Amino acid sequence: MIKVEHLSKSFGDFNVLKDISTDFRPGMCNMIIGASGSGKTVLLKNLIGLMEPDSGEIWYGGKRLSEMGYEEKSSLRQNIGVLFQGSALFDFETVLGNVMFPMNFFTDWSMEQKMERARFCLDRVNVKNADDKYPSELSGGMQKRVGIARAIAMNPEYLFCDEPNSGLDPYTSGLIDKLIHGITREYGITTVINTHDMNSILEIGDRIEFIYEGRILWEGDRHSILGTDCQELRTFVGANVLARRIIGG
Amino acid sequence: MIKRFIEPIGRYCLFLKMVFRRPEKWGIFWRQFVLETDKLILSSIVIVGVISVFIGGVLVIQTASNMSNPVLDRMLVGYMVRETLVLEFCSTVVALILAGKMGSNIASEIGSMRISGQIDAMDMMGVNSAGFLVLPKVMSATFLSPLLMLFSFALGLLGGWCVVEMTDIIPAAKYISGIKYAYNGFYVFYSGFKMSLFCFLISSISAYNGYYADGGSLGVGASSTRSIVVTSILILLFDLIVTQLMLY
Repeated sequence: MIKVEHLSKSFGDFNVLKDISTDFRPGMCNMIIGASGSGKTVLLKNLIGLMEPDSGEIWYGGKRLSEMGYEEKSSLRQNIGVLFQGSALFDFETVLGNVMFPMNFFTDWSMEQKMERARFCLDRVNVKNADDKYPSELSGGMQKRVGIARAIAMNPEYLFCDEPNSGLDPYTSGLIDKLIHGITREYGITTVINTHDMNSILEIGDRIEFIYEGRILWEGDRHSILGTDCQELRTFVGANVLARRIIGG
Repeated sequence: MIKRFIEPIGRYCLFLKMVFRRPEKWGIFWRQFVLETDKLILSSIVIVGVISVFIGGVLVIQTASNMSNPVLDRMLVGYMVRETLVLEFCSTVVALILAGKMGSNIASEIGSMRISGQIDAMDMMGVNSAGFLVLPKVMSATFLSPLLMLFSFALGLLGGWCVVEMTDIIPAAKYISGIKYAYNGFYVFYSGFKMSLFCFLISSISAYNGYYADGGSLGVGASSTRSIVVTSILILLFDLIVTQLMLY
């Protein structure tokens, strides 16, 4: 489990995150939702240690992130898989090379074992016959899938996804959502997804945190979101035509 | 103003600390070392070779045209060409050329990886991205660049010989005896040391600029330009310092 306590982050005079406290539970798709500029990405970057908070604490299974040294952080990160918004696949590696990349560093497996594991992960995300292709030869949806395969290659305890559906058509988005949800349930991963895609939220949001102007205004799940009394959340949800029809806005 | 000057130096030192951290796996380091040697050193052979041949030839013509005094032995043309090549051209001028070629290559490659999130992805896996991406480049450039200097020296002398053979500026035998005259092996060491130092500056400063690039593709372009400007100035500054320390 990941626990966040009184997290604040500012850039100059602009307070992006204001006293955020919450937790993210294992085996669930924990979603951070909110409008663009609400602080979702900054929260995610603080969670994965790419940014340092001004104040507050982040706990990974009972250990404070701020008190971890280089070695400890490095071993924690081997337990974290991240799917970046732009996939962030390595240009210099093939599809297979990308998935094998963390294994090359942190396992003593033979080449056959690494290839077997990489192929298993690629099969799991439905990427076939693309082992020797480079990222530039793949479509956006394929890149996301390879990104997920790379993220789960080391059997992580934690999976972070930053806007996993951005730039994808609704059908492919749905497939990616189902994939992330399936993997989360199957392996009991603590998955944190940063999104503003209403389809994803309604499809796989086991737990939802709504951020508005740097504060968490609402917590709930996909079943309760449409019946919320929170006016800011109703406005956010109502921006989606289908959801607006359901909530009668 | 002082902060603007001091801050990058401190940041550069911290960056070097990350770069020189022990590699996670030596096997991966050596594989990258070979790849970087191909990309940085072997791919520079053609440009260094072409420039060296032509400069060697030009030096012969220029030196001979400035030594019309019949009292001076024509053999001195070969001697002066050799000294000019080994003392300054093969290290400093070649390094300035490499600052453009090698520096922009490193800064733009690492800068593109930074803005596309590939470096963040490596960090998130627990991989020391600075060590993986930069250490093999720095080591290859630093330790193998003296070979480029030797190559440039040999081709410069060859270029001079070609001009001597093709024209009747001076007899070829005089040129050959000139380049053998009063040979000082320390100058080759001095030149190789300079080249090594300059290539360390080129690779590490360019990598630093690329590693901290921001602002999208414009930022990558700016980091590449900044690398070339900064390393060119530092090469000239360190040329002066090293020459003073080693030759006087």
